[in-house]
Amino acid sequence: MSDYKPRSESRGEGREGREGGSNRRYISRPKFCQFCSDQKLVIDYKNVEMMTRFVNETGKIRPRRQTGTCARHQREVASAIKNARHIALIPFEGDLWSENSY
Amino acid sequence: MHNYELVYILQADLDEATLTGAVDAIEALIKNSKGEIAKVDKWGKRRLAYPIRKMREGFYVFISFQMEPSEIVNLKRALGYNEQVLRYIVVRVN
Repeated sequence: MSDYKPRSESRGEGREGREGGSNRRYISRPKFCQFCSDQKLVIDYKNVEMMTRFVNETGKIRPRRQTGTCARHQREVASAIKNARHIALIPFEGDLWSENSY
Repeated sequence: MHNYELVYILQADLDEATLTGAVDAIEALIKNSKGEIAKVDKWGKRRLAYPIRKMREGFYVFISFQMEPSEIVNLKRALGYNEQVLRYIVVRVN
């Protein structure tokens, strides 16, 4: 009952579809897995430039919803990043290119 | 026989002679384990993404080779005993 009342009051001033809780900002993302669309592209732990693209500025692996990779290739990307971290090509935490990172 | 890749990091503070000596020693290690080296690529001195044994730089060497899977254990053990090797990674490639 108490939930219903403010909603009916605000009706009219709000936009259509606002009620569904969709006031979250929409972030566009690539819709196709880049490794599926380009078969020549190999996931390689030695490719530092590629590995940094799949890692955010704190060094975490970026989720699929941001990079657009499919489930199968995301698994390969994740293990490649872990390999690259092991041989100190990319950091476990923090930004690779920031000065005085350690 | 399978295709493998090895990347290892040597201490960067070694002088020229011991560095080439260490690189040759690891190539010999692969040959002793009945491996066939396809390609050796010295990446050279690189800044490490994080310090290893309090060192900020390392000398990276990449080797692609063929070897019996049963011999990989011996290779890994030998690399682990080598104190000049800061890190190594052996990956099987198709």
